[in-house]
Amino acid sequence: MGIVSRLIRPLALATVSALALAGCGAGGSGTSVGDSTGPITYWSMWKEGEPQQKVIAGAISDFEAESGIQVKVQWQGRSNTDKLVPALNTNNVPDIVDQTFAKLATVLGDPGQAKSLGDAYGADVEGSKVSALVPAKYSSLVNIQNKDGQPWLIPYSLITDGIWFNAAKHPDLVSAPPKDWAGFLALLDKIKASGVAPIAADGDIAGYNSMWFTTLMNRTGGAGSFRKLVSDRTGASWDDAAVLRVAQDVEQLVRGGYLIKGYDASKFPAQQQAWGSGKADLIINGSWIPAETKSYAAEGFQYSSFPLPGESAKAPLARTDFTGFAVPAKAKNAQAAEKLATFLLRKKYQDAFGTQATVLPVRSDAAVPDALKKAKESLDSAPSVYLQNDGVTYPGYIEKVFGPLDDQLFLGKISSQEFVSQMKTAQIQYWKDKG
Amino acid sequence: MTDILPRPEAPAEARPASPGQRPRAAAQGSTIERQRRRLLVPFVGPAFLFYTVLFVVPAVAAVWISLNAWTGSGPMTFVGLQNYTAVFQDPLYLKSFGNTLLILFVVGIVIFVLAFAMTLLLRDMAGRKIIRSVIFFPHLVNALVFGILAGFVFNPGGLVNTLLRPLGVTSPPAWLAQDNLFPLIMATLVATSTGYFTTILMAAVDRIPPYLFEDCALAGATAFQRLRHVILPLTWDVFGTCAVLWTISSIKIFEIIWVFGGSSGSGIPPTQSWTTAVYTYVTAFSGMSTPAYGAATASAIISLALVSVLVILLRRLMHREAIEF
Repeated sequence: MGIVSRLIRPLALATVSALALAGCGAGGSGTSVGDSTGPITYWSMWKEGEPQQKVIAGAISDFEAESGIQVKVQWQGRSNTDKLVPALNTNNVPDIVDQTFAKLATVLGDPGQAKSLGDAYGADVEGSKVSALVPAKYSSLVNIQNKDGQPWLIPYSLITDGIWFNAAKHPDLVSAPPKDWAGFLALLDKIKASGVAPIAADGDIAGYNSMWFTTLMNRTGGAGSFRKLVSDRTGASWDDAAVLRVAQDVEQLVRGGYLIKGYDASKFPAQQQAWGSGKADLIINGSWIPAETKSYAAEGFQYSSFPLPGESAKAPLARTDFTGFAVPAKAKNAQAAEKLATFLLRKKYQDAFGTQATVLPVRSDAAVPDALKKAKESLDSAPSVYLQNDGVTYPGYIEKVFGPLDDQLFLGKISSQEFVSQMKTAQIQYWKDKG
Repeated sequence: MTDILPRPEAPAEARPASPGQRPRAAAQGSTIERQRRRLLVPFVGPAFLFYTVLFVVPAVAAVWISLNAWTGSGPMTFVGLQNYTAVFQDPLYLKSFGNTLLILFVVGIVIFVLAFAMTLLLRDMAGRKIIRSVIFFPHLVNALVFGILAGFVFNPGGLVNTLLRPLGVTSPPAWLAQDNLFPLIMATLVATSTGYFTTILMAAVDRIPPYLFEDCALAGATAFQRLRHVILPLTWDVFGTCAVLWTISSIKIFEIIWVFGGSSGSGIPPTQSWTTAVYTYVTAFSGMSTPAYGAATASAIISLALVSVLVILLRRLMHREAIEF
């Protein structure tokens, strides 16, 4: 045997077996979905010690005792969906995962990798159907539905947003918040005259900057308006006068000097800290802000919020985002996993989310933390809801097209006119590239 | 300086014969040769296997993924070179690419100019060992620290503005404005990398026999002449390696950009400071939109091609006859 073949043959063999091994990982979409009640694997978005983790861990031990189904939990933290992507290409998938809607949608929902949970929505929890406990205005959102029209997500808690303020300083805003844009501007002028910055904003967070435009856009044309605007492949919708009007409203905040000084050149969380310590009176943010700013808020700070009003005083919509469970289509113990998902909807655990974890539980009859009472009211009274970025998850659109230009508008670099015309061009290019 | 001579050619018989020219008798010949051959597979095999599984297979798979539209799981759709054309037409990618080149060349040149300057300066300085450790230190610090520190130092109510106020500066520059972030990042990179390369270059300079510097002193050479005629030629191979190291690491620079903008890492930094690495990451893992693994991989492969071309060019450009001393 020559040296070359002696060297090459074992190496070639090794390479082939390595390729075969690697190949085993990929493919394999033909797995049958098992219905066994065997132990279920749960990849959690919470880490041990977090308040939500404690609530869920308590529920799981009750669940195990009651159903006899063992739950193998991995408290992975927020990166659980990042780890899910590669796992979905193997046969080794968790039976259940939880995350916020946006993350689950991009990893499971949109690629069609989530199991339809219609059966679970028909299941009974403490005498009520799941479909009754999760209000229809949530479960009917197309964003959480599979192609068959069935939802793939069972939320256990909610996020909403609004304009947050210290009720101890502005008790009047609790009972009589501004109803329309003019009223809002009048409030801003009043605060400005008192020598305090009206609005704090961490301008380095594109997601916060864009809340103004997306919220006002949906206020103007109803839920789904922003989604419709950006889904237009011709870009022509950006020529609409109503869209320009919304951009002008945002521009008005910038040019009117209502934003805290330095908002365009600071690092999060500098400005929300400024708000918490009373250097500015209002901030647009999510319902996580009371928990996030608690440690540095001024003494006696009483959190409250009102929905950002639009041009007219129409019944306000509300933004909501879900945190909840999804079951991968390939899960081996899907039925048992669905049982766990619905188990968290029991009143006991829903109350615990409100009181211990101080978040908004999905059940409307569950306990709500004081700081979120007003937010919950507007959520309950809103006839329809929309998701973060109005549910837009087109690959790269928000991060690369809308976010950067919206930043320019909000940070005062471009005018509203420039914004709409540049958005039109960028959007046409975006859809052209998508083919 | 006449002592510097090219390495004498090794006598022909001392050089190992290449396998092709090896006389047949020798190939089957000595026991040592045979044993060496027998050990080749067990010794090279595992490394070859790991390298194949961990690098070659993923690289080949990446090329394949870049030709498809894929969300990371589920079915792939073959789209040919569409991802590449889309990436190249994306003004944001070109901007990110430009930033990568700015880091590579501008930051690179500044780093090496400073590194050589410090090498000259530190050679004769007392306590240079301590100074060397001090300038090396920033390299050990996690980039996250600089990202958070930038907030403390440059926020509107931060250290710099607080110090400027007594000096009568009432409207200081918007240090952390989106357009200023990238220059700030470049400055931070210079600060963190210069010490690292200075340390390597100083080690190379330390190898130079002192009598050459004495020779310089006798001949009345200036510091610059010393650099040009002694230090540069005698550290050229080390400098070449450093240049390759910098090229490879600069194209991968990611975390410092990630933490400088967008809530110190939990958000996405402003596009003004993106590099190709950030572009690739956001395209695949932003968590805000459906992942586009095809486009992300295409962008990564372009970066890989860029690194390869630049490294080969650099090696060519920097190739000199090694000097023995």
